[in-house]
Amino acid sequence: MSVAEEVKSSWADEVEEVEGGSLPPPVEKSDGNSKTITEYSFNEEGKKIKITSHYRIEKHRVARQIAKRKTWTKYGLSKNDKPGPNPATTITAEDVFMHFLTNKEEEQIDQEDLKKKLLDQQKGQVKCRLCKEDHWTKRCPYKDKLEPLRTSLYGEEKVEDEPQQGTPGVPPVDKTKLGGPGTQGKYVPPSMRDGGSKKGESMMSARGRDETATVRVTNLSENTREQDLQELFRSFGDISRIFLAKDKNTGQSKGFAFINFKKREHAAIAIQYLNGYGYDHLILSVEWAKPSGTQ
Amino acid sequence: MKPIMLHGHERSITQIKFNREGDLLFSASKDPKPNVWYSINGERLGTFDGHSGTVWSLDVKWDTSLFVTGSADQTMRIWDVETGVSLECLEQKTSVRGVSFSYSGTMIAYTTDKMMGQNSELIIIDVREPNDIDGTPIMRTQVTPNNSKALSVLWGPLDEFVVTGHEDGSVIKWDMRTGKIMEIGQEHTKQIKDMQLSHDGMMLITASKDTTARLWDITDLEALKQYKTDRPVNSAAITPLVDKYPHVVMGGGQEAMDVTTTSSKIGKFDARFFHLVFEEEFARVKGHFGPINSICFHPNGRGYASGGEDGYIRVHVFDDSYYQFRFDF
Repeated sequence: MSVAEEVKSSWADEVEEVEGGSLPPPVEKSDGNSKTITEYSFNEEGKKIKITSHYRIEKHRVARQIAKRKTWTKYGLSKNDKPGPNPATTITAEDVFMHFLTNKEEEQIDQEDLKKKLLDQQKGQVKCRLCKEDHWTKRCPYKDKLEPLRTSLYGEEKVEDEPQQGTPGVPPVDKTKLGGPGTQGKYVPPSMRDGGSKKGESMMSARGRDETATVRVTNLSENTREQDLQELFRSFGDISRIFLAKDKNTGQSKGFAFINFKKREHAAIAIQYLNGYGYDHLILSVEWAKPSGTQ
Repeated sequence: MKPIMLHGHERSITQIKFNREGDLLFSASKDPKPNVWYSINGERLGTFDGHSGTVWSLDVKWDTSLFVTGSADQTMRIWDVETGVSLECLEQKTSVRGVSFSYSGTMIAYTTDKMMGQNSELIIIDVREPNDIDGTPIMRTQVTPNNSKALSVLWGPLDEFVVTGHEDGSVIKWDMRTGKIMEIGQEHTKQIKDMQLSHDGMMLITASKDTTARLWDITDLEALKQYKTDRPVNSAAITPLVDKYPHVVMGGGQEAMDVTTTSSKIGKFDARFFHLVFEEEFARVKGHFGPINSICFHPNGRGYASGGEDGYIRVHVFDDSYYQFRFDF
């Protein structure tokens, strides 16, 4: 096996080489089971290359015919090749590994995944009126048993119109949650869906805040703390949140704050009383906060 | 595994084959010079210079004295393996597709192309005197127009019959004495790309463009097993160690003409190992940059070689993991 490694000469060597212009003779080292041949040559760019080939010498005990064949002289295009593999035609490739497939073929899994995804997408789009599984009513396996029962219970019309309020024992499903039978299967952009008109409802409910009851307080002194604001505003009503803008590094107030009241009327009273109120030798400015979306 | 890459061909490999002991590996390609290599270290013993066209198929005599090649230059040549000298050049009317030495090495069966108004033929000649071969056939039969073109040919046990693989996917067993059809195996739906015998010569594996390989009982052409893939199968081989490691290896990949139109990731050029009996794939080996055109096990079963459309031959020796692998039932 030969492994050729290229070692580029340093710039210092190159200078020498230009002056001298000769190559060191090839060196062959034998060491028991291995042989190392170091050769020097010039590449196309005129740079000196050192090629080190490592050979492992293996001994095989073979049948007489095979040993005889090994002594044959080379012919054809290999006529002039030296004994041993010619690096021009024989290359040691990179290590490859046998990739064992432990369970199933990967591709199959991929395909199954894709299939499953598609099935999942279809789920909810198609719903049997009889058994509520995801297939067409026409293909329902229980069609023969269930359909006569249902028609006798509800009559034809009702079954058609109110598929959600189905069989006894099944609790009635909230229509709005499912988007109603009429809207099922149709794509509705998020902004057009139920509750879409209420801007950012989910965000607000998550933070427990109603922006309509928020006041903005400006011209606060640097030493103001959240506690001070709480004491000042608490008397007007329940406060859900106080936000005091603070400098990140010093921790001092930036001079403004937002107070969220639980009720809008409390906020209104606070504005009425505290706007223009002298607090900590400064005159406060208290007004309705603009909705955060428009800031 | 650290495969040895053999780069002696300028064009895509058409067929590779080990000799009986496995110390030599013969290779033919679409360039006109077949090569022979020492399989142990990848050293090239020589090239066989003489053809002037694609070499479609090759075979080597059991004692590695003679080597036969069939070429698209409308000749079949018989070579001396030791010296690389062409002993005989038999001119044909059309290109030679499949060649095969009989087990005893006394006869060669070959098939010719259907071209230029000539029919595809199956011909058997006597080669007992390698220095004095006259091309007079001892059996000659027309394959077309009754059947489709014969591409590959193999000998049955005791040299009693030959089996040919055809362009339409059929496998036909011929009586070598009368030239009559004995059986037809019609399982594949597309062209047979390669046929190989099991080590004991009792089973036959065919690789077809219809993305499957099939295992046959050679005596009555009964289809025993089917190995399904998702790509054209260009070559399939049965391991000689079939008792202990019942495996087959298959090489293929999408056709070279389609490669540029699809992403390289789905080229599927790896060698695939299947369990012989359960017909299930259990391992893969990557390496080639194009479809594998020919694949074969080393006669000792400890490795395999594959030749690809990329012009390279890769000689692999199995790691311990191959022997330690136990099939998951």
